[in-house]
Amino acid sequence: MRLDPRTKMVMLFAVSTVLLLGGNGGAMFAVRTAMLLFPFGLLAISGRMHAAGLMLAAYLGSYALAAFAAPTLEGIANAITVATATVVSRFVPTLALAYFVFATTTVSEFMAAMGRMRIPDWIAIPLSVLFRFFPTLGQEARAINAAMRMRNITPISRGASYVENCLVPLMSCAVSIGEDLSAAALARGLGAPWPRTNTGSVGFALVDAVVIAVSLAATAALALSLAFPEAIAW
Amino acid sequence: MVKETKTESPVLFMSEASFSYAGGHSGAGVEGISLSLGKGEVALLCGSSGCGKTTVTRLANGLAPHFYEGTETGTVRVCGLDVAHAELWETARFVGSVFQNPKTQFYNVDVRGEVAFGCENLGFEPADIERRVDASAKEFNLTPLIDESLFSLSGGQKQRVACASAAATSPALVVLDEPSSNLDFEAIAQLRMAISRWKATGTAVLVAEHRIHYLEGIADYVLYLDNGRLARRWTADEFARLDDAERIRLGLRARSVDDAFRNSGCCSVPAMPYAQKAALGENVVRLENLTAHCRKNGVLEKTLEIASLELPVGSITALVGACGAGKSTFAEAVCGLNRCDGTVTLEGARLGKRARRRKCFMVMQDASHQLFSESVLDEVVLGMEGPDRQQRGLDILCDLDLDLFAEDHPLSLSGGQRQRVAIAQALATNRALVVYDEPTSGLDLFHMQQVAEGICRVCERGITQVVITHDPEFALSCCTHVAVMDRGRITEAYPLEESGISRLASFFRSEYHAGEDDPSIRKTPYSRQKE
Amino acid sequence: MKTTGNASASTSKTGGRLTGKDLINVGIFTAIYFVVVFAVACLGFIPILMAAICGIIPLIAGIPYMLFLTRARKFGMTTILGLLTGIIMFITGMGYFSIATGLVFGLIADLIWKSGSYASASRAILSHGVFSCWIIGNFLPFLITANTYLPTVRAQYGDAYVNELMTYLQPEMYPVLLVACFATGIIGGFIGRAILKKHFVRAGIA
Repeated sequence: MRLDPRTKMVMLFAVSTVLLLGGNGGAMFAVRTAMLLFPFGLLAISGRMHAAGLMLAAYLGSYALAAFAAPTLEGIANAITVATATVVSRFVPTLALAYFVFATTTVSEFMAAMGRMRIPDWIAIPLSVLFRFFPTLGQEARAINAAMRMRNITPISRGASYVENCLVPLMSCAVSIGEDLSAAALARGLGAPWPRTNTGSVGFALVDAVVIAVSLAATAALALSLAFPEAIAW
Repeated sequence: MVKETKTESPVLFMSEASFSYAGGHSGAGVEGISLSLGKGEVALLCGSSGCGKTTVTRLANGLAPHFYEGTETGTVRVCGLDVAHAELWETARFVGSVFQNPKTQFYNVDVRGEVAFGCENLGFEPADIERRVDASAKEFNLTPLIDESLFSLSGGQKQRVACASAAATSPALVVLDEPSSNLDFEAIAQLRMAISRWKATGTAVLVAEHRIHYLEGIADYVLYLDNGRLARRWTADEFARLDDAERIRLGLRARSVDDAFRNSGCCSVPAMPYAQKAALGENVVRLENLTAHCRKNGVLEKTLEIASLELPVGSITALVGACGAGKSTFAEAVCGLNRCDGTVTLEGARLGKRARRRKCFMVMQDASHQLFSESVLDEVVLGMEGPDRQQRGLDILCDLDLDLFAEDHPLSLSGGQRQRVAIAQALATNRALVVYDEPTSGLDLFHMQQVAEGICRVCERGITQVVITHDPEFALSCCTHVAVMDRGRITEAYPLEESGISRLASFFRSEYHAGEDDPSIRKTPYSRQKE
Repeated sequence: MKTTGNASASTSKTGGRLTGKDLINVGIFTAIYFVVVFAVACLGFIPILMAAICGIIPLIAGIPYMLFLTRARKFGMTTILGLLTGIIMFITGMGYFSIATGLVFGLIADLIWKSGSYASASRAILSHGVFSCWIIGNFLPFLITANTYLPTVRAQYGDAYVNELMTYLQPEMYPVLLVACFATGIIGGFIGRAILKKHFVRAGIA
């Protein structure tokens, strides 16, 4: 299953809006829950079952914590548990969605979608670098972390200089990779003044229509519930 | 197409070309370079690190002065285009480029997008691009991988993608900057095939390279740079006739695969005679049931499975095997850095994962991952204990020829020096086992010998060492044992005496020949053995 | 003879227009900047620190920002950095207000950096102070949507938590948060300059 990058943008917008604004009443609770679960479903369908499972577990766990454990606690313990749980359950679904968007979009698809929407180069090119660069930063960070464990550099043993110890190698590696990467891209003509041909396959299929319809319906329900709170709040 | 062909004008023409970098950090400048390369000709640029051969390739593809800033004089023309004054995207129509590090040169996340990238930027017709991508993918055996993520490919596969991407725009000139640095023998053989294909189809090729053996019989000219100047130039025949002693004096690597084994004694480091190492004694480092897992497409896969391996204390073992055989996983598992099971018995103690992080040490392929301090001395002292640690730190630096750099920032050093700083860390914290991940990739003869020398000095302290390498010249110059790895298992392990050398030679030869066959129909030794 | 390099020369060539190299640089530093922000923001999962991340992010984010400025010698690069940071915040679910604050504060930070001819250390630090104010965008949803958001939370989690939350997020807290962002942004700027001199200049990458 492949979604058009523009479909993903609509979806991002809808999920963000619904989760932020919430809305009250049973109907909106249902809509919100549906939008919450949407990202996990997409991740699972795109073949990232493991990640989907982990993130869903984190979500359900924190939700359960807030709903069942918190009432038995009092005062500050209650506030801390509930707050942690709310923040986690609030952001895990959107992080799952962000992960889905970044992991399933190729640079050429993205550039093609940007081209169709007439987004100028000065936004499209820096954004396109991110798809390539986030995984790279992850790899570099893992290697640096391994080196740190080998030398027992931990927040406890190093204090505030731990941050420095992490960031200096990470940033210097990132800068040198970035240099090579842009040399290679420019030597292959990136940034030429003529229109770029985009062969990334974009276009709307049935699945795009479904996702867009769901997104629009959820947003519309939210708008309705905000405009006429009485009408929908059961 | 109507084109003037009365006099075959050269594809690449340089006359008295000079370049000096602004700031001086990005590389060594060159002076008075004149050369001319016709259709289907292959020129090899060689010379020691810092001689300026990379700069010559940058002059040809326009990255100097358009990307790497500096001052250029003289003439550089590709197909008549004045590269210094044309924009990079104009030059990109005529020149395809392949760079040293397969990890850093791609822009896309998928193979198809990467192969099409140049064509898309140049604005070719969509149908044309599709045809070019398919043809290029087929030519470089990438068809089965076309929808893969680039992050899941091995270094050799990535380098093939880079070649395919350069080829897709059908450039008149292909420029390669040390393309074999991070490759195993199989991938190097495939690189050789790619270059000979370009040669056959009339594309001019300019290669800057240290490991020159794979260009034997392909390179038409060999140009030797010294200190930014073209010091020597040979035709292929002249170069083949060159005296071996002269080659070594110039700091050049073996000219053919066989050369590498024939001249095993050539290095300034006396090849560790295995006999001398017979004094290693009975003590061994024992690895038992070492296994590691990795999640691939949601399925847990066993990437390492070593029932038992013994390394004599104080030995230097070359760990060889194709890219993706699990050698790096092995290094991480030995040092307790990844999800792994099993034990390592060191100095009579069975060490679990956590304990190994204190007794074992890995010198990473990119040593800049393990440099954290603001000076080389601080880097070594970090983690040392006792009041005299400054002095002991300095002693270690002296021992590794780093004392002059004690106050410098570790990241301002060259790659080889950074590696030695990492070795110094291992010495400072009394590690009993040190693993190196491809310490000689991208090094010239002199620097390779320097690494070998450093490893021999570590050996004198009785430390057991394992060196992951694709480099037979290097293995022969300092290793005492060989372990061959395939698909996560150790298939062979033997001491590197007379018969061991010929076994190692035949291993590298078979790997090399495997690359010359069509890899898509090739059966690996492992799959045969498994049935 | 052809010379490139030193802001003046390359500016005269491209007329100060952003080249492909500049745009890729912005992308790379957006990634680094975001990773730093994200790592610090994870501390925000601990609720006491939730409001405090306003103050912590700029302290550390000054390090990549200062290295970025050594490469941002044309007008527009810092603005795009702000805009892109906002866009990623939107993608990761922090709401769309950061896009606006990122753009606005990025633009002002850009103008400040430009006014120092892309070289002045004090302007660089001031520029980071202003740039850091984009973080307020992450908190705007609470202000603007409080009426619809809080009753839901109250129904789910009880009054104690909501009251706790509201002590941080009273409307009059927002100017305080903004000042906090700016002030720690200035401190973060000093930290960033210090690390720049201590490491990146000596390593030859600044």
